[in-house]
Amino acid sequence: MENYLVAMGVSAGIFALMALGLNVIWGMAGLINLGLVGFFAVGAYVSALLTLKLHLPIAIGILAGTGLAALVGAIVALVTVRLKGDYLAIVTLGFAETVRIVASNEIWLTNGTDGLSGIARPFGADFSPVQFNLFYLCLVAAMVTVLFVFIDRLSHSPFARVLRAIREDEQVASVAGKHVLVFKIKAFAFGSAALGLAGALYGHYTSFIAPDIFVPLLTLYIKLALLVGGVGNTWGAVVGAIVVVTFLESTRFITPLIPGLSAVQGAALREFLISVSLIVILRFRSQGILPESPSHPVVPARTGAETQPAQI
Amino acid sequence: MSGNTISRRRALQAIAAAAGTAVSAPAILRAQDTLQLGVLTPLTGAGGFDGPRMLKAMQAVATEVNAAGGLLGRQISLIIEDDQTNPEPAVRASRKLIDVSKVPVIMGTWASAVTSAVAPVCWESKTFLTTVSGADSITLLPHQGYLIRTQPNNHLQAQKHAEFIASIGAKRVFCLSIQAPFAVPTQNRLSEVLPQKGSQLIGSLIYEKDKTTYRSEIDQALRAKPDFLYLNGYAPDVTVMMRDLYRAGFDGGRLTQSYALTSKVLESLPPEVTEGAYTTQPSADIDSPAFARAVKRLGIDDPDSYETQATDWISLVCLTIAKAKEATGTALRDNVRKISQGSGMKVYTAVEGLKALAEGKEINYEGASGPCDFTDIGDIQDCKFRYQQVAGGKFKFLKVA
Amino acid sequence: MVTEVLQLIINGIMAGTILAVPAIGLTAIFAVLRFANFALASHATIGAFAGLVANVNFGLPIVPSLLFAFLVAAVVGVVTDEFVLKPFRAAGFITTAIGSIALTIALENVVRFIFGNELRGYDLPIRRDWRFEGIRIGPQQVENLVIAVAVMAAVFLFLMLTRIGKAMRAVADNPMLANIKGINAEMVARIVSFVGMGLAGLGGMLIGLDTTIDPLTGFRSMLSIFAAAVVGGLGSIPGAVVGALTVGIGEELSLLFLSPNYRSAVGFFTILLVLIFRPRGILGQRAL
Repeated sequence: MENYLVAMGVSAGIFALMALGLNVIWGMAGLINLGLVGFFAVGAYVSALLTLKLHLPIAIGILAGTGLAALVGAIVALVTVRLKGDYLAIVTLGFAETVRIVASNEIWLTNGTDGLSGIARPFGADFSPVQFNLFYLCLVAAMVTVLFVFIDRLSHSPFARVLRAIREDEQVASVAGKHVLVFKIKAFAFGSAALGLAGALYGHYTSFIAPDIFVPLLTLYIKLALLVGGVGNTWGAVVGAIVVVTFLESTRFITPLIPGLSAVQGAALREFLISVSLIVILRFRSQGILPESPSHPVVPARTGAETQPAQI
Repeated sequence: MSGNTISRRRALQAIAAAAGTAVSAPAILRAQDTLQLGVLTPLTGAGGFDGPRMLKAMQAVATEVNAAGGLLGRQISLIIEDDQTNPEPAVRASRKLIDVSKVPVIMGTWASAVTSAVAPVCWESKTFLTTVSGADSITLLPHQGYLIRTQPNNHLQAQKHAEFIASIGAKRVFCLSIQAPFAVPTQNRLSEVLPQKGSQLIGSLIYEKDKTTYRSEIDQALRAKPDFLYLNGYAPDVTVMMRDLYRAGFDGGRLTQSYALTSKVLESLPPEVTEGAYTTQPSADIDSPAFARAVKRLGIDDPDSYETQATDWISLVCLTIAKAKEATGTALRDNVRKISQGSGMKVYTAVEGLKALAEGKEINYEGASGPCDFTDIGDIQDCKFRYQQVAGGKFKFLKVA
Repeated sequence: MVTEVLQLIINGIMAGTILAVPAIGLTAIFAVLRFANFALASHATIGAFAGLVANVNFGLPIVPSLLFAFLVAAVVGVVTDEFVLKPFRAAGFITTAIGSIALTIALENVVRFIFGNELRGYDLPIRRDWRFEGIRIGPQQVENLVIAVAVMAAVFLFLMLTRIGKAMRAVADNPMLANIKGINAEMVARIVSFVGMGLAGLGGMLIGLDTTIDPLTGFRSMLSIFAAAVVGGLGSIPGAVVGALTVGIGEELSLLFLSPNYRSAVGFFTILLVLIFRPRGILGQRAL
C-alpha cells in the first residue's frame, strides 16, 4: 500500500513539474499552450535516446532533455508570435500531435509505437524496487521544490511584472519600451524546459516510453491541475497536481463499491466521476482553490482581452 | 472574503475525504477471504471493444472453477482495473493491483505499448503477467520468466497465414495494416513466405486508425489489382474497410483476424459485405475438445482469438496455483510449464485439470487457443491456426492447419 | 493520374460537406459565445446514438432519425451549456473551453455507460458505388451530401431571414450594440447552443451513417471538425463550409505524396500554414 502511495506521489510530482511550467507560460505570460504534452515528449525522448543509444550518463540525458525542450519551446513561440488566443491554442495542439505522429512513424529513431524499453534508471541496480520508488519520490520532490522556489522568486521579479503587463495589455507594454517578443519567448522557453524536465524524469522512472503516452488527455490533466489550484499561483500548481492525481486514483476505489455494474459501466462511471469532480471544483472555485496571492495584481474576473473578439 | 474561506475549507475537506476513502478501501478488500487474481484490460479507449470480451471469458472460467469448489479451498475473485489503452494510466493501475490488491498475476493487457509499460512493474514486483499483445519486442524484454503470451508472434503468424493464402490459390496479395508495431514485421514476413508457396505480395500500405472511411486507401490498394487482401487491423477499422471494399466493388478474397471480424461484428454487418471473407485464429488441434468447451461455456458459436486466449490464461493460472499449492507470482513463473506442456495427461479445461491434479496426476493443459506450450521467453512454441469462412452471414468452419 | 486526382477531390468534397455541418455548429457557438466548445465531440456522439435508437429500435427511416438526432443533441446542448458551461463564462474563455473538454469526457462516458463499447450500425441497405469514367461515388455519399447541403441552406436561411437568426448575427457582431437595441443576449445564447449542438448531433449521425458508431465516434472526428472551423475562420459560418471543404480535400490530396499514416499530421500542418500566412482563416473572422 505504501509503495502504491509513493508511486502516486511520483506521478503527482511529475504532474506538478508540468503544472509549474505551465504556470510560467500561461499563468504569468498569459500564453495559451495546449501542446504541453509535446514538450513533455521531447524531454522524454531526448533523454531516453541519449542514454539508450549513446550510453550517456542519466544526468546529461536529463539536462539535454530539458534544454532541447526549452529550445523547441522558443522556436514554437517564435513561429506563433503573431497568433493570439484560440489560434495559438490550436497551433500548440497541432505541434503536440505532430510530435506524437512523428514519434509513431519514425521507427528508425523512436522505435515507433513499440516504444523505447529499458531506459536507464538512476541507481537502478543499487536499489530494490521499493527503495528505488522511495528514492525517486525524493528526487522528484527535490526537483519540484527547486523549481518552485525558482519560479516563486521569478514571480516577484521585474521579469514577471513585465510578463503580467504584457498579459494585461500588450500594446501598453510595448509602448513602454519592453521588447514583447523576447519576453514571450523567454517565458515559453522556460515553461517548456520544466515540461521537458518532467518528461525526462518520467522516462527514467518507468523505464519505458511510447507515443501513446503523449496524448492531449495528459495536457488536459495539467491544465485542470493549474485551473483547480489557481492560475498564476505557484503553490496552486503543486496543489492542483496533487488534487488531480487524488481524483484519478481515489475514484478507482469508489466504483467497485457500487453494486450491479458491468466492468465497462464501472470504468465509464469512474471517468465520469473524475471529469465531473473537476468541473465542480472549477465551477465553485472559478479562481481555483488558491487564487493569485494578494501581493500580485489580482486576475480580474473578466479581463479586457476576453470580452472582445480574439484580436489578430 | 469569508465566503471564500468557507468554500476553500469545504473543498479541502472534500479532498481529505477522498484521500481517506483511498486509504481505508483496501481494508475492505483484504477482509474478503477470496483468492484474488488481477485483471488489467482496456475497458475504455481504442481497445475498449476488446477488453470486455476477454474479461467475460475470464469470468466464465472463474465461475466454473468456483462452482467446482474453488482453488486452494477458496473462491476466486477477479480484481479488475481499466488500462484505458494508454500506458500512463495502465502503469498506475498496475501499481494499485500489485501494491494494494496484492494480486499474484495480472491478466489481460492488450495494447503492445501498455504491456511493455506494465511488464517492468510486474517483473520487478515478481508478479506474473499474461497478455495478447503481439509486438515481437515484448517477449524479448528481460522479464525473467514473469511473462507469457498466448498470441503467436508475428514471425509464426504471418508465416502460417501466408501459407494459407497461397494454398487457396491467391496469386496477387495486397496487405493493408493498421498502424501498429506488427505492421511492418508482418508485411516483411508475408513478402518472404508468399513467393516460396507460389504467390506474391504485390504491395502494402499502413493506414491510420480512427478514420470513418478508407475509400482512398482502398483505391490505392486496388490500383495494384490484387486478387486477395490481407486485412491486418482491429474491429473498428476492419468493419469500415469491409463496407468500403464492398462499395468499391472488390470481390476478391479477404483474410482477417478473428478478433477483427467477431461473431458480434458479423451480425452487425450486412451479409453481402462479409460474404466469402476468411477469418483466422490460433487454435489447438482439430480433435481437441477445448474449443468446443469454450463455445459451450461462453454461449457463443465462434469465440474469437482474444476470448479463447483469455480463457486459457485464467485456466493456466488456476492450474499452476493448484500445482504449486501457493498463489504467488514466483510460484506461477516456476510452475506454469509443469502443467502447460510435457508428457502429462491432456486436459482441456481448468476444472478437468484441477480434478486431475487433486488425484495426484501430471497434466498437460491444451487450451482453446492452442496447445499452450511456452518457450523460455514466454512465446508459444507452435500452434495451428483455425480458419473459417463467412457464408450467408455465418461462420463456416474450414480447417485447422 | 488525372482520374486519381479527381477521385481524391471528389472523396474530399464528400467528406468535407459532412464535416461542414458540425463545423458550422462549432463556429456559430464561437461567434456568439466567444469560446471553442469542445463538448461538440460528445454531442456528435449523442446525436449519432439518438439517431441509432430512432432508426434501429423504433424503425424510423433516415430523415426522421436525423431530426431526432438533431433534437436530442440540441436539448442536451442547451441544458449542459446552461448548467455547466455558463457559470464558467465569467472566468474567461480558456476556462470555459477546458470545462467543455471535461464535459465532453463526462458525456462520452454517459453514452458508454448506456450503450457499452460495441460497434453498432444503422439499419441501412448497403450499395455498391456508382462508377463512370473511372470515378466511383457511393449512393450513400450522395444522399449524405444532399442532406448536408440542405441543412446548410436551412441554416443560412435561418440566419438571413428569421428574426431570431438576425438577432444571433447582431449579438455575434457587436454584443453591446445588440444589447442596447433590446436583443436578449441570454436567449440568443441558448438558441445558438441549441442549434449549434443540434448540428453537431446531426453531423455525428451523418458521419456514422456510412460506417459504424461507438462512444468514440465524435471524439475521432473532433480534430477535423475543429480544423475546418479554424481554417475557414472561427466565427464565420461560410468560413466553416470553406474550411471543411479545404480540410476534406486537403487530407485526400495529401495521399498523393504522403503515406496514409501521416494524414493527421497533414491536417495540423495545413492549419499551421493557413494560420501563419492568413491568421484570420480563409474567410476571415467576420461574425457569422
